[in-house]
Amino acid sequence: MKSNGVNRTLQAARTQELIYELKVQQAMTTKVITVEPENTMEDLRQILKLHQLSGTPVMNEGDLVGIVSVEDLIRSLLEGNGSEPVKQRMSANFVTLYADEPLVHAVQKFERHGFGRFPVIDRKTKELVGILTKGDIIRCMLQRLEIDFHEQEIRRYKPSDWFAELESDRTTLGLRYLIQGRNFQRAGEASSKLKQNLRTLGIAPEAVRRITIASYEAEMNLVIFTGGGELSAFVEPGKVTITVVDHGPGIPDIERAMQPGYSTAPDWVRELGFGAGMGLPNIKNCSNELKLDSKVGEGTNLQFTVFT
Amino acid sequence: MTLREIIETLQAKVVLDNHDERMVVERARASDLMSDVLTRVNPGALLLTGLTTPQSIYTAEMADVTVVCYVRGKRPQEETLRLAEERGLVLLSTDLPMYESCGRLYKKGLKGGTET
Amino acid sequence: MTKTLKDIAAALHLDVRTGEHLLARTVTGGYAGDLLSDVLAHARKGSVWITLQTHTNIVAVASAKELCGIIVVNGRTPEEATLRKAGEEDIPIMVSTLSTYDVVCQLCEMGVKNGEGV
Repeated sequence: MKSNGVNRTLQAARTQELIYELKVQQAMTTKVITVEPENTMEDLRQILKLHQLSGTPVMNEGDLVGIVSVEDLIRSLLEGNGSEPVKQRMSANFVTLYADEPLVHAVQKFERHGFGRFPVIDRKTKELVGILTKGDIIRCMLQRLEIDFHEQEIRRYKPSDWFAELESDRTTLGLRYLIQGRNFQRAGEASSKLKQNLRTLGIAPEAVRRITIASYEAEMNLVIFTGGGELSAFVEPGKVTITVVDHGPGIPDIERAMQPGYSTAPDWVRELGFGAGMGLPNIKNCSNELKLDSKVGEGTNLQFTVFT
Repeated sequence: MTLREIIETLQAKVVLDNHDERMVVERARASDLMSDVLTRVNPGALLLTGLTTPQSIYTAEMADVTVVCYVRGKRPQEETLRLAEERGLVLLSTDLPMYESCGRLYKKGLKGGTET
Repeated sequence: MTKTLKDIAAALHLDVRTGEHLLARTVTGGYAGDLLSDVLAHARKGSVWITLQTHTNIVAVASAKELCGIIVVNGRTPEEATLRKAGEEDIPIMVSTLSTYDVVCQLCEMGVKNGEGV
């Protein structure tokens, strides 16, 4: 799929960016186990086993003098009995990294030297501050990508931000819900979903309440009086507009319908806790702008806007 | 007033158990008409109602009511219960009628919502 | 201590819309509810009914149950037909700007007891 391809390219680009952004000290292991030159290779074997390491720096009175790995250990055990000191098997010819270097330098050094690990030293004090393996780099990058991903998720749900990123003269997000007439079991479902979505979009709770109280009243009107219709919400920066369209029976006297207490609802609707003539007035109270068009026999078109 | 005090005052059964009894409810509304509940919004209020249809839950959701108490021994319909559970609402049921429920809560100091 | 509709109307500052001449009636209890079927089934004779329904059917219910009067809450305006029918059926209708909860609280304060039962 095309969009997937684009995504993958973007992610690859992000990974490249990361190895320039991240510093060695962000990826390295700071808890460094070291051995001394006079330790035996058998001592080393036990230390590596105990700490599950594949290599470790060799320190002589605080100075880094070499690096010794599991490969050195195997060679020693094959050729002897492991009683020889570490200093005979370690590589004194090692390469270090500075803690404040970008990770890309480490990657280049891994490629160039073929070492499994690098001691990391402080640029000023020259003291050993950590050790870096390829595994550390991968773990760090993955963690970072995951954090990035979460941040993107959150950002994606903040309409103020991602609306700003989408270039257009007017950006609108549309949510459309189909309402079944006379279905009281489901009456309210659309407004409930709308409420959850508006919250996810980060719209202020007070505005969300006004929008969804009005949409719920409108939804109930469709269920009670019509054969059903469509409720749509258009989210824009600064406002949400709801349109509610049905195909009949229409309102004969809009002025009266807008009056509190006026209702044409049958008794059974009143027994369901609705139809007390409060719907349209309530929608009006909740909204900043309202437009109502209706033709008897054709249908009703209600539109209201709430500023957010 | 805490949820615990409300439950005690109304001798209510807890229908939906996902709540903290130390939770504080500051106001009460009493109505069987959902539009009425929607006209006067009291976030975090207690709703006393005899209406047990799914609309009682949708209304509570839209009006940000967090505790619904069914009066006169009414029990919510199954669909109502499911919706409430999904939304994490607290559901109570008392055998007292609405009038008596209001009166008892008032005597314990729970305010109404007229002035908002 | 028995209370009359007149006492209640005065204490709660009710707007008496119809049945002014019937306010000497004794209030035996209070019943709150907006579902007519509920009130039909459970309100006791002589109680005052607190509701926000304004439809003509409330008069029929109050008349059938021999309730002493109706308090319409939230400052709702009873429909013309409702007031006309209430006049015919001798059911006083009074309006309060308070909510059901607050009206009930004030009635309880006055000593009006729960009006449930047959």
